[in-house]
Amino acid sequence: MISSKQARRRARQLFRLCHVKGFVDETRVRRVVLHVLNAGYRECPAILAHFLRLVRLDRHQHTARIESATPLPADLQASTEASLKGIYGLGLTTAFVERPSLLGGMRIQVGNDVYDGSVLARLAALQNNF
Amino acid sequence: MPDLLQELEAQIEGIKTLAERQNVGVIREIGDGVARVEGLSDAMLNEMLDLGHGITGLALNLEETEVGVIILGDYTMLQEGDEVRTTGKLLQVPVGMGLLGRVVNTLGEPLDGKGPVKSNIAYPVEKLAPGIIRRQSVNQPVQTGIMAIDAMIPIGRGQRELIIGDRATGKTTICIDTIISQARLNKAAEAAGDRSWRSLYCIYVAIGQKQSTVARVIATLEEAGAMPYTIVLASPASDSATNQYLAPFAGAAMGEWFMDNGMDALIVYDDLSKHAVAYRQVSLVLKRPSGREAYPGDVFYLHSRLLERAARVGEKYGNGSVTALPIIETQAGDVSAYIPTNVISITDGQIYLESDLFFQGVRPAISVGLSVSRVGSAAQMKAMKQVAGQLKGDLAQFRELAAFAQFGSELDAKTQAQIDRGKRIMEVFKQPQYDPIPVEVQVAVLWAVQNGYVDQVPVERVKEFQAKLTDFLNTRKRELLEKIGRQQTLSDDLKAGLKSAVEEFAQTWKTTPAR
Repeated sequence: MISSKQARRRARQLFRLCHVKGFVDETRVRRVVLHVLNAGYRECPAILAHFLRLVRLDRHQHTARIESATPLPADLQASTEASLKGIYGLGLTTAFVERPSLLGGMRIQVGNDVYDGSVLARLAALQNNF
Repeated sequence: MPDLLQELEAQIEGIKTLAERQNVGVIREIGDGVARVEGLSDAMLNEMLDLGHGITGLALNLEETEVGVIILGDYTMLQEGDEVRTTGKLLQVPVGMGLLGRVVNTLGEPLDGKGPVKSNIAYPVEKLAPGIIRRQSVNQPVQTGIMAIDAMIPIGRGQRELIIGDRATGKTTICIDTIISQARLNKAAEAAGDRSWRSLYCIYVAIGQKQSTVARVIATLEEAGAMPYTIVLASPASDSATNQYLAPFAGAAMGEWFMDNGMDALIVYDDLSKHAVAYRQVSLVLKRPSGREAYPGDVFYLHSRLLERAARVGEKYGNGSVTALPIIETQAGDVSAYIPTNVISITDGQIYLESDLFFQGVRPAISVGLSVSRVGSAAQMKAMKQVAGQLKGDLAQFRELAAFAQFGSELDAKTQAQIDRGKRIMEVFKQPQYDPIPVEVQVAVLWAVQNGYVDQVPVERVKEFQAKLTDFLNTRKRELLEKIGRQQTLSDDLKAGLKSAVEEFAQTWKTTPAR
């Protein structure tokens, strides 16, 4: 029986093995999971749970979620995507999402970074100011 | 109306329209005033975090994928999945003269219902202590007004003097007396228009105390007229462990403002045992590894970095000071427990209060043998040094001889005289609470004791003799006392004046019948 700390450490080691040129390689991720499952260790679920979390966090770091109140025109989508790739590198995947509650403007989230230029955020800032 | 419109316009203009980059995270786990937040890759240690709903958090644990946050507010409004933002600011509290006379919480918010705190300056709660170059040695006294302390365990401005003892031995009372004494001295100097007087402002930090105890302290200070020179920072037992952990640091920040502006401040941390317990609670919930008595490994650093902020800075840096009076509560007199030994080793001396002495009626119950002030004697008034130089030794000898005399053996005249003198000194040092004695009166009384004028007074009437002598000096020999206060040293002239005054009093005393 290994402790949660050891499981975390092993998951981190496996996660590092999945990196190719600084990016997580999906094929390697699949192979690692298969290997761990086939090994049939008792601690597999704990290791895989931590491993899954690390993969999820990495994917989150390399995903740009672009929210707008109405669908964005294709040219704006392309220019936004290009700008973001210029900042965060080519490994970025983008997802355009419609969110009417923003009222207007755009909210972009890449990993932990948020650029909020929506009307909703400005109204919230106004509310905080008074 | 135009004013209102202008104000609104200014506020609207102040809102930035550019979308700035913000660093965010998501609450993964929350409970016991602590949240674990996933994300926040740019968070700094001790950075204030915006948890939404007007609640602020403090980043305490920076880990690979998440941040351990302590919540400063009602955490029940928060839930898993809520967004958390960095603010780029370290935790700050308001500081300045506007806080004097106020009762505030850890964040500097008023608790006294007297409206908002008038302060436009804020200091970070965690700040590096002044370095070696900025400091100078302690050379000015803190007149506590407690004769036993001012005579034998003198405290200097910029010193850290621990007050340690069991529960209900008068630890807080010593601090309150000191605060009252400072207020009286400040008031007297203001009334006399003495510009050379350096006012000493006091900050009383209540950590984990009962609300009723804090209320009693405030009432005492108000009654004594000490509140205008005092800030009370209360983090009572009902406050979260987080707030209790931060309270002394907030108090230190308030004191540092006085020091940075060339003034003197005195901070009472009441008490650091409860502070260590609060920090242990926060650390355990943050899943930090625990050590001895389940305290985290950095509990020594917690107190050392807090107490190192007490300092006296050099003339070049404003000549201000922060004096710290930390309190530690021991269990059954055990000073060798973890936290007491830590704080004893950090501070520049300790005043040890004994339960036995307290119950024998020796109040303040200061154990002279175990109490020490490592730097204060350099700051002691010269006149006091002249009269109190031998006292500690005399008392130590008395205790030894008194223990020996218990066996009922025959004593020679010299030994008997030493015991008799010791008993009278012990009586003189007894003092009621909240009644500090001015230093010039202390000097006069101790001079009378040292010169044998009390030797003929029966032990049970020593306090009466002292009270009447004080009355006599205050009413009939006011100029003499003022001269001692001004000259700060006992010249031959002053000694002659004291001799004639005490002899004159002794004449009247002989004729006064016992009560």
